Amino acid sequence: MPKPIIRIVNLTKKFGNLTAVDHLNLEIEEGEILGLLGPNGAGKTTTLLMLTTVLRPTEGTAFVGPYDVTQEPDKARTLVGMAFQDPKVLWVSTPWDILNWHAKVCGIPSNEREKRLRWVLEEVGLWNERRKSVHTFSGGMRKRIEVAKILVQRPKIAIIDEPTTQIDIVGKHRIWNMIRSLRDEGSTILLATNELYEADVLSDRVAIIHRGKLLVCDNPKKLKDSIPGGDVIEVVLGKDVSKKCLEEVERMNRVVDVLSTKPNHLKIYLNKAEEVLPQITEFFLKMRIPIKSVQMSEPTLDDVFAHYTGLTIEEAEKR
Amino acid sequence: MISLRNVWVVAERDLRTFLNYKHVLIMRALWFLAQIALFGLVVNKMLRPDVQEAVGGSYFSFYAAGIIISLLYSTSVFIGYDIYEEADHGVIEYLLSLPVSRKELVLGRSIGGGLRSFLYVSPMLMVVLYLIWSSNPQSFVSPLQLFIAFLALFLFTFGVSGFSITLAVSIKSSDKFDIFLGMINALIVRLSTTLYPLVYMPSYYAGIAQFNPLTFAADLFRWGAGLESAVLTAPAIAIFGIISFFSLFTFLGIFLHERVLEGGSWQ
Repeated sequence: MPKPIIRIVNLTKKFGNLTAVDHLNLEIEEGEILGLLGPNGAGKTTTLLMLTTVLRPTEGTAFVGPYDVTQEPDKARTLVGMAFQDPKVLWVSTPWDILNWHAKVCGIPSNEREKRLRWVLEEVGLWNERRKSVHTFSGGMRKRIEVAKILVQRPKIAIIDEPTTQIDIVGKHRIWNMIRSLRDEGSTILLATNELYEADVLSDRVAIIHRGKLLVCDNPKKLKDSIPGGDVIEVVLGKDVSKKCLEEVERMNRVVDVLSTKPNHLKIYLNKAEEVLPQITEFFLKMRIPIKSVQMSEPTLDDVFAHYTGLTIEEAEKR
Repeated sequence: MISLRNVWVVAERDLRTFLNYKHVLIMRALWFLAQIALFGLVVNKMLRPDVQEAVGGSYFSFYAAGIIISLLYSTSVFIGYDIYEEADHGVIEYLLSLPVSRKELVLGRSIGGGLRSFLYVSPMLMVVLYLIWSSNPQSFVSPLQLFIAFLALFLFTFGVSGFSITLAVSIKSSDKFDIFLGMINALIVRLSTTLYPLVYMPSYYAGIAQFNPLTFAADLFRWGAGLESAVLTAPAIAIFGIISFFSLFTFLGIFLHERVLEGGSWQ
């Protein structure tokens, strides 16, 4: 059983009357990528800022490695590196200067620094622009510098806040691969995002957070399976189906509901569709009903979010 | 435990922004020229020989040394403006997340801001030393005295940078900071010995001015440059005053970084 490298205990942050993070409890295991998923304003960034000791909790605490962030913030920061949501760069700087200073302050020796900087700048596609002032850069290019900082640092715990906003799809894949390779090199990744697909493809586990509270935390597959009838199989048959047949399908294990949209079209709501599908096809073959087509769709993390909050992420952001 | 390496790396970042202020630098250099070549020379001619004698033989030399301290002060406070620019760009959060302690961060920034100010002023400082020594060729300049004075001036600039950081962190609006600094600037320079010695001030002003860090710095620089005069603050007291000033504002800067910035009220 992997041990937790981050332990969040009743973590709370209030700004006046606003409770941004509300008694959050969460453990992050060493070597995993944990996606912190939630709409804008859910409290993700505030949580991350408390873990990096930029903000002090109003109540509760968090342990980063063995260090309590409220008692030993200086030691906690030696284990953590953070890539911020908004690129933290001054317009007068160049990518090389920003990353070189960042590497220096993180204690990377000079002989290693240049090699690492070159590799990272090439990886993020900014090698040719390394001496240009960042004020000429697009939002996406600045974002890449922010992510590059963490790649240069290679911290024990990498905290990454919405790494691919403003980045095109090719760039997104590039950054996702880098995050994976960072994990493969030994870093634990805490990734805050409001992009469902990003959380799904990158995370070993996803913690869904809403209004500062943790709703649920598990691996994406289990989260999707936790929605009763979350999977949908749509079957188009060669002839109309009798009521008796429908009842037989409904009685199958893990099937939650069957809807007949047309006499030969069935929409079956179930769990673990991949396990039940062979049973369904076998049943229709036995009943001598030819199958014209089968379409299977899994729930998304948005469905999971909606299941726990009654809102889609988009709706939650609007509120 | 403070890591000197970390302090230096933080200071280095502020030193690298040396050329960001080239316009301000040029303006300051022109201001310096006007003060020396116009104001200093004219006022020097107006003063009676006994007054000239009381300030070490030449009011012009006394004044030129004071102007350098005034310049050192006004360029050391630039770091406060940096803090606002960094806040606009979110760089403060970035700095607070780095693996350096708050002490190292504040100390490094104070030193960086102070050294940067020294770099700005050093050409003018050389001009002033030349003017003082050429107008008093008989005066004896001890290299040790000069070294001690320079060391104390370094501490003075670090202290002023710490003071500026403390103000910037306490006052959240850059406009208010600018106005407040303008007011402080007017008072702190005039209620010091940068322009005139304590003995010519009304006692209620002199009572305040004798504890002014600019008084300590100006008189110590004059002493280091060989301007011997009974009206100057004793070097030991001036050194003690500068060390106290530096310590006070470095401590306050650290305290405010921990209380105000980490508390989140900046946001």
